[in-house]
Amino acid sequence: MTRDEAKRLLDRLLAKAGSAQVEATLGGGESYLTRFANNEITQNVAESRHVVSVRVADGKRTGRATGNDLSDEGLSRLLARAEEAAKVAPESESALPFLGPQRYREVDAVDPATAALGPDARAREVGRAVARTLAAGLDGAGIFETGHGTIGDYGELGTLAMANTSGLFAYHSETAATFSISALRGTESGWARADSHAASDIDGDALAARAVDKALRAHSPKAWEPGSYDVVLEPAAVSDLLQEMNYLSFGALAIQEGRSFLTGAMGKAVLGETVTLRDDPYHPLHRGSPFDGEGVPTLPVTVIERGVARSAVYDRRTAAKEGRESTGHGLAYPNTFGPLARSLVLEGGSDTIEGLVAGVERGLLVTRVWYTNVVDPKLVNVTGMTRDGLYAIERGKVTHGVRNFRFNQGIVAMLQRVDGMTAAVRAGATVCPAVRVRGFRMSSGTEF
Amino acid sequence: MDDLLRLALDTAVQRGATYADARIVESEREDLHVKDREVGSLDRSQSAGLGVRVIVRGGWGYAATDDLTPDGVSACAARAVAIGEASSSVLREPVRLAPEPAHRAVWASECAVDPFRIPLERKLDLLVRCSDATKKVRGVTTAEAFFSFLRRRTRFVSSEGADLDQTATRSGGGLVALAVSGDGVERRSYPQSEGFFLSRGYELIDEIPWLENAERIGEEAVALLTADRCPAGEMDIILEGSQLGLQIHESCGHPTELDRALGMEANYAGTSFLTTEKLGSLQYGSPAVTLVADATLRHGLSTFGYDDEGVEAQRWPIVDAGRFAGYLTSRETAHRIGESRSRGCVRADGWHHTPMIRMVNLSLMPGRGSFEDLLSDTDHAIYMETNRSWSIDQLRYNFQFAAEIGWEIKKGKRVRMVKGPSYQGITTRFWNSCDFVCGPEEWMPWSVMNCGKGQPGQVAEMTHGAAPARFRKVRVGVAASDEA
Repeated sequence: MTRDEAKRLLDRLLAKAGSAQVEATLGGGESYLTRFANNEITQNVAESRHVVSVRVADGKRTGRATGNDLSDEGLSRLLARAEEAAKVAPESESALPFLGPQRYREVDAVDPATAALGPDARAREVGRAVARTLAAGLDGAGIFETGHGTIGDYGELGTLAMANTSGLFAYHSETAATFSISALRGTESGWARADSHAASDIDGDALAARAVDKALRAHSPKAWEPGSYDVVLEPAAVSDLLQEMNYLSFGALAIQEGRSFLTGAMGKAVLGETVTLRDDPYHPLHRGSPFDGEGVPTLPVTVIERGVARSAVYDRRTAAKEGRESTGHGLAYPNTFGPLARSLVLEGGSDTIEGLVAGVERGLLVTRVWYTNVVDPKLVNVTGMTRDGLYAIERGKVTHGVRNFRFNQGIVAMLQRVDGMTAAVRAGATVCPAVRVRGFRMSSGTEF
Repeated sequence: MDDLLRLALDTAVQRGATYADARIVESEREDLHVKDREVGSLDRSQSAGLGVRVIVRGGWGYAATDDLTPDGVSACAARAVAIGEASSSVLREPVRLAPEPAHRAVWASECAVDPFRIPLERKLDLLVRCSDATKKVRGVTTAEAFFSFLRRRTRFVSSEGADLDQTATRSGGGLVALAVSGDGVERRSYPQSEGFFLSRGYELIDEIPWLENAERIGEEAVALLTADRCPAGEMDIILEGSQLGLQIHESCGHPTELDRALGMEANYAGTSFLTTEKLGSLQYGSPAVTLVADATLRHGLSTFGYDDEGVEAQRWPIVDAGRFAGYLTSRETAHRIGESRSRGCVRADGWHHTPMIRMVNLSLMPGRGSFEDLLSDTDHAIYMETNRSWSIDQLRYNFQFAAEIGWEIKKGKRVRMVKGPSYQGITTRFWNSCDFVCGPEEWMPWSVMNCGKGQPGQVAEMTHGAAPARFRKVRVGVAASDEA
């Protein structure tokens, strides 16, 4: 939906508001995903949908209704349902007046060719990739996904546009392309993935070649004993571990409630000097939304600067509590989660993967991690598995595959022991480098 | 609605589909969440849309739209066919569907009291009172209370003549107390982690003693801050039913999904150690372990008349007295294990997503004896209650779970509360160490509300019935690490 179409739709709804205080949010778009396994396409889908969520504020009370009937009658019903809810909601001490018009930075995140990419083009790219896995005697499995709008990985809808009766209007659209491939032989596997706003940046054949190479090098993995190892974590692994920390630690509500390792730590050295962490939707590899779920312009925020805690990310409620301005990291109001960094950047260094490996006497090269979950939220102690390529490093060289490990590792402690980084790249939801960590706790083995 | 469904099928078949089905799903939902008297969510949502699934030259195509006009539906069906054609260009073996009678039926889950007719004020008042009761405990940092209600009507037709109209209503909620001190963050939930839900109406909310437990979980969360840390080492454990429910889900449910075992989820959720040659021969667990898949379970979250490809609901053993006995299958995969009919496990989480194999209700059959009998029979063990974290490898061998609260059992008695209880194991060794499953009087249908699978990701809900059970010589406390 274009900016003008979105504005007309939301204006149509707000025109029904009368004297009520109304905020309306539009999300949705189109999403296409071609899925393959065992070297053939096994699923191939398209979805097109939009949803409007209406919030009515009645003094300190607020109610919300959400629906996808965008007809005049449907929007009227939506508004009436939200008004009914607002009337009976308990009063909220944290309720704030609606924002008026805001100024947002423009983010160029739409690639028309990606928006127009059809199923034949996706199938051709998948065909090239599985030709490579077939030639290597491996099974190829993965996805080629493209989208236009704000449909998330699990069908959740981000904000395409929002408007309110105080004159605010915000709009941001983006395209996205992801190609992910696993190359497998039995329980041995390699993996590669790329994400961009433009499908032309994606080379399925090159990714397949990388996954094949990783799978072949993981052949006949040896069982190593659990223990503490120096590790080189590739960007996909770093991304998943950083996101666990992000969800638990960087939002002001977690800090205010004492649940974050950053509680009482601003201005203090909390991580290693190598670590500078920012949230920046304007980074060219992110191209994220310039506003948050409350319509506040999103500011780039340095959370950690050379190991020193500098700032949380804020929404309006947590900012008001500290007498400061929101940084534009709120979710739709009201919510119990608090603010969230959406465009995390871990600044990289100048090393290469080979250079990081060269600095390890006996350790492990980790392609990615899987099924991470939090064991202890304050110190961000996380468990999870290695996956799709775990390799021995011996005397500065990658020597052979190693059976996968379960790890139990504090991410705060881990980021105090990083002594080498590559340049940062886009890895899933994060822009981050590969890193070398001195001492990473592999706590138990598995059968493959 | 009938006209639109018929139009979708006709368009798909005219354009070359050899098989087509169409679903219109209409849903209504209410989510209420209170945290420390503040409303965290008060959302009443509605959704309607159509999905068309086709086979074209042996390849799958799926398209979904919320444009429920004749033009919108025709375009959606045409798009599904174009996608199916593209799929057929990268295909090794054409899709083949196991036969299923073309059912024509109307089905609805049991719902005595319509939750959408209960005034919002009444629901919010109960949530605020629960939150207040928890928060008044000295030392509680935050207190949350939430309810959620969902009604989903699914109309399904297929080019084979199936015509189904099903309506399911589910209700439930939960309470959470959080206590924070120094580096300690302790949580207690009631009735279970992530809330307790069933396919029932508001009568379920009325039956649960929310207020009676709101204060208790606050007290326990605060007590955990100063409790001893759970001892580490190899020891016996007893799992409370909801924790055991998640154990069943992760270490039995997912590995017996046949699409996983056949490699169809390899890039995302993973594959399975339960490869097809093990069916009927692998000693998955001890003789005390019988696990039954049951899409007919009364009040189950994954209970239905027919699945989302029109296959009738069934009940069958997955593990029979310890022996690996069955898979969760679809019409597409059944023949791969020599079966002539799908087990009916295919579902989608809405009209916008294509259906895929999802766990139906999967339960551990009760053994014999009360919980007190189990404790009396135990010399030394850690009893773990309510899940706190979970993780399992991509083949479903190595798992690690942590619970919110533990109790050390000595000579049949609870001797002390312990914090941070966790255990780790390898699936078959763990289930083979099970030597005591409590009886029917302790059996409860627990819920999983956040089961993620597939690309695009889909979230499913299902029920896992379980009574407390004991496992011998399990590795405990591996999650804790002073140096981590």
